[in-house]
Amino acid sequence: MTLEIQNLLPVYFEEERKSTSEIWGKERSFSNGDLVNIVAPSGTGKTSLIHFLYKMRESYSGTVLYDDKPLQQFSREETAALRKDHVSIILQDMRLFEEQTILENLEIKRQLSPYHPQERIIEMARRLGVDHRLNALAKNCSYGEQQRSVIIRALLQPFDVLLMDEPFSHLDNANSKKATELILEETAHRKALVIFAELEKAGSFPATHLYHL
Amino acid sequence: MHTGTNASSRWFSYIGLGVGVLLLLCSVQMFINIQQLLKEGSIRKDGFDFVSITKNITNETMGQPEKNLFHADEIEAVKKQPFIAGVSPLLANDFRVQLSAGSVLPFSTDMFLEALDNDFIDTLPPNFAWKEGDQQIPIILSSDFFEIYNIFAPGQGLPQLSKETAMGIPVQITCYGRDNAFTFSGRIVAFSDRVNSVLVPKNFLQWANKTFSHKERQDASRLFLKLKDVNDPQLVRYLDAQDYVISRDKTLLGRNKIVLQGIFSGLGIFGLLVVILALMLFSFYLQLVIARSRQNLELLLTLGYSPRWLGKNVSNQFIPVYIFIVLTALLCTQVMQWAFHHFVMFNRPELSSFINWTVVLLAAALVLMAIVTNARLVKKLLYRLG
Repeated sequence: MTLEIQNLLPVYFEEERKSTSEIWGKERSFSNGDLVNIVAPSGTGKTSLIHFLYKMRESYSGTVLYDDKPLQQFSREETAALRKDHVSIILQDMRLFEEQTILENLEIKRQLSPYHPQERIIEMARRLGVDHRLNALAKNCSYGEQQRSVIIRALLQPFDVLLMDEPFSHLDNANSKKATELILEETAHRKALVIFAELEKAGSFPATHLYHL
Repeated sequence: MHTGTNASSRWFSYIGLGVGVLLLLCSVQMFINIQQLLKEGSIRKDGFDFVSITKNITNETMGQPEKNLFHADEIEAVKKQPFIAGVSPLLANDFRVQLSAGSVLPFSTDMFLEALDNDFIDTLPPNFAWKEGDQQIPIILSSDFFEIYNIFAPGQGLPQLSKETAMGIPVQITCYGRDNAFTFSGRIVAFSDRVNSVLVPKNFLQWANKTFSHKERQDASRLFLKLKDVNDPQLVRYLDAQDYVISRDKTLLGRNKIVLQGIFSGLGIFGLLVVILALMLFSFYLQLVIARSRQNLELLLTLGYSPRWLGKNVSNQFIPVYIFIVLTALLCTQVMQWAFHHFVMFNRPELSSFINWTVVLLAAALVLMAIVTNARLVKKLLYRLG
């Protein structure tokens, strides 16, 4: 799957941004296997970019294309299908069902489009050190535990593109490293494209492309 | 889904829906009952009702036969009405007729004769025919007239007669022209419950009118109508509008039917309004449920759940409820129908103790309507979530 952006700019950003950014206002094209690291200090539109690419917001000018089809032309059902089988996301603000356990949260995602068997959840949880929290309600888990759960959730489905918005903001270096390894392993398995937006360049992420937002 | 919250508005809408559906179903069932009850009660032949109509004779039109007769164009207009299956003018004699029993009974009276198309006569024996030169004239006599004879006969010193005997007695019919008179021999060949008249074959009367009165009368004072349903409200309205009068008001039931149908139509419309109101209340409740579950639904959509699938899931939760409500209303309607038939109508054969199939069909349609409107609403609300 290819992902293209053409002359993209949030409507609430001034035009000058285009001259300083390597993403806003530019034409970029990515395909399977690319590991794209987007480095962006606070307030440069990191979350906006990830939301635009996932069709969570459409307050932008320019075009986002998946396999040459403009994202704006995707119907609700097509968007759902895109999210189910082709594009996965790790959101900065996590978004878990607070009244459900971590395991239930993960199962809700896994059952939508099962890529892994249920045992793989436990395996991944063990690798990231949250296996003992699987039966705890999401609201009772720390941000760090929640963030690791969200990473696992994103890896339970088939995907061609993985979007990550500061996925390790609540993790220490050791845990970040473990999580990066797991992510790389899973994406390699799928030959997927990764868009990784972070405040600073991540040392443990072997980016094939590096852009400053 | 937080469906447990705000239970009172949910229960109100359920009860409202139940009451509305019950009202609607009962009204339709009663409407059908009235139709079935009032179809009976008139003389029918081959599924048709037969009545005769005259013009309403008022003080203004008295003594003006041309105003009280049906003219050819008026007969044509009556024929054109869709609820009238056939029209036959009652042809009357235009000369003086005297009837006597000859030497058998010392009885003689001035009479009138009328003729009608054969297919309008309920009791038509094969010997009810005449051809020029025949001395014998077959007569079909109204049962009512015969009854009246038997009432006044003893007072006049005449014998009371059975129908069989009367049919055996030859009567003499004397027709008086301006300058001639002729006596025929008549015989009663049948009695009619439907036609209040003394009927002779049509071709005889046409011949006699020509022979004895030298005028060819086209107009008729009475029209005999063949109707699909004498209680058809359209017929009643038409007759009233034209100021025509039906013999022995057989439309009385029809008039009651208009009123009753009006009442039950009103009730039915009211029921429908209650159903709509209940569905609206239910839609508010649903909006509330979705608004309360907004975060969860949004998250499911973010995770890639399809709005159509989610909508189906949310809507499907309510399908058993709708089916239960409508089935309960249907059952109540059935109990009501049974009670109505048993206790109010004392098991009259025209009615059934069971509800009509159209009511069952309507109930099914209501379930479908509730499910479809509900599903559409849920889908709309989910699409709004994004």
